[in-house]
Amino acid sequence: MGLLNDLQAEIGRRKLSTGGWAGGNGRRASIETTCYALMALRDDQRPAREEGVDLLLRTQHPDGSWPAFEGDDPEGCWTTSLAAIALRFVHAPSTHDERAPRWLLHSKARESHWFWKWKFRTADRAVQFNPDKYGWPWFPGTVSWVIPTAFSLIALKQSFPCCRTGKVSDRLQLGIEMLQDRVCPGGGWNAGNGIVLGSALKPHIDTTAIALLALTGDAYAAARQSLSWLRRAFLECSSAYSLAWSAIAFVVHHDPDLDRCMAVLHRVLSSKISVSNIETLSLAAIAIHAAEGHANPFRVVI
Amino acid sequence: MNRRDWLVASAAVTGCALALGLQQRKYSRDLRPKRSRVAILHTDQYSDKLDELVYDGLRLFDLDVRGKSVLLKPNIVEYIHGKPVNTDTHLVGAAAEAFLRLDAASVTVGEGPGHHRDTDLLLYETGLADQLSQRKIPFVDLNRDDLVKTKLKANYSGLGHLWFPQTVLASDFIVSMPKVKTHHWTGVTLSMKNMFGTVPGARYGWPKNVLHWAGIHESILDICATVRPHFVIADAIVAMEGDGPLNGTPRSLKKVLLADDPAAADANLARLMGLDPIHVAHIREAGLFLGNIAVERNLNLN
Repeated sequence: MGLLNDLQAEIGRRKLSTGGWAGGNGRRASIETTCYALMALRDDQRPAREEGVDLLLRTQHPDGSWPAFEGDDPEGCWTTSLAAIALRFVHAPSTHDERAPRWLLHSKARESHWFWKWKFRTADRAVQFNPDKYGWPWFPGTVSWVIPTAFSLIALKQSFPCCRTGKVSDRLQLGIEMLQDRVCPGGGWNAGNGIVLGSALKPHIDTTAIALLALTGDAYAAARQSLSWLRRAFLECSSAYSLAWSAIAFVVHHDPDLDRCMAVLHRVLSSKISVSNIETLSLAAIAIHAAEGHANPFRVVI
Repeated sequence: MNRRDWLVASAAVTGCALALGLQQRKYSRDLRPKRSRVAILHTDQYSDKLDELVYDGLRLFDLDVRGKSVLLKPNIVEYIHGKPVNTDTHLVGAAAEAFLRLDAASVTVGEGPGHHRDTDLLLYETGLADQLSQRKIPFVDLNRDDLVKTKLKANYSGLGHLWFPQTVLASDFIVSMPKVKTHHWTGVTLSMKNMFGTVPGARYGWPKNVLHWAGIHESILDICATVRPHFVIADAIVAMEGDGPLNGTPRSLKKVLLADDPAAADANLARLMGLDPIHVAHIREAGLFLGNIAVERNLNLN
């Protein structure tokens, strides 16, 4: 409890006076960072939480999407899925606002268009992937990437826990297939594809863990293989950020390596609280809280 | 006018518009100095001896950095054991030390890795975290800095503006420190391509796929016209050839190149690699307005 309290106190201390939290070294509210911080705070840190929710609500675009940060151009992006997850988790009044899931359902990666599908299938084979299986981009007008696809899948699954229409089910299925298609040859995920110009890419721990959060509930071969990879990879990892994501994935998959991962996270983090950024502190708090059996914001209940 | 006349007239107008468009200059200012200064230093290995080598090399240029804030922008992409992917950390440390000895007010190292969201892990794996910690040099994650919307000073990509990190825009003296590599999309990745790392992932994703769709060569030109590096210190001690920028093979060139002009630096580096810089689209075009790529307009200082 000590470390968790310290993390939550530190997150509370670093709140911006205008509400929300800044990313990295910045002083301007970042939507991604604010979402993680909201998920990490205790119930009794209500003022900070309410200001964070206010920040999210006032930065939401009329079409339901979110920008990357306060003051950004009026164009929605990948943070829409995270904001929807965060608001749902803290039971914000807008939890049942359907604009964000609707925006996500309409948001499509560039390879969903027949012309780019054709190009990637015929003329542009340097990056090997199946363009029929597309997910979500970081920003409109670009192709699918693993992390925005995983977060969008989680947000949509949480928004439509049951009685999904054909459109929702089809979109979810496509996104899941996209993740399976882009897995690295030995398991795990890089940012996008597993193979470029015939060479296998190295998986990233955080990307792999986030992708695993979206592949639960069914027996996915890609998920099993990637969990095996993650179990080996976290042992060598010195980054609290990646360890926290790993732990959250292990919680969701009820993986027996969770305890070992938490032990490494505690060791790495205990000396680094003051120098870690809000993203890392928040994710560590979420991991510790979830590992203790409390609510996990990325969990999908069907 | 009958229909045939209309068609002919329309075709003529379209043709003229296209011709004008092609001839239209895509840059507003000619940034080329009369002559560009270059120094190619010889060294066989990465070691503490680089401190003196870089310091002595910088003194050849008689740079006035007294009281200025210096930003070093190395190329930190991905850690792959045995592959010369990243700017060597000894060279980054040596450059930081040299600028401090030249009375710079501050030296900061900044990078925004393209695919890797866990910058802390990357810094640890590459050894840069240790190097900077020993020398007490601060690091800024350019992917998560405060951002300023900036009008581009050239118009190759059609993007019009980009958000750049405050740290980059506020620096008095920007030093691009590329790892000399071949690149499967752009032919080479040198000091100008290295400036992709100043474009923030928080606004453009991991990778910065918006730039790929706008054209990599085109984006390089627009970025360098807008945040033109004042100086280049290139790591060509062990370069990468073949399937770069990640999976190529090491090639020992045993050189560190210093230059006060990024286009001149890249033209010289391409020649060092046995390539004709005219065949690299962004270097060829940069020779029209960003710097001097012709040998006769370069002054070799050593």
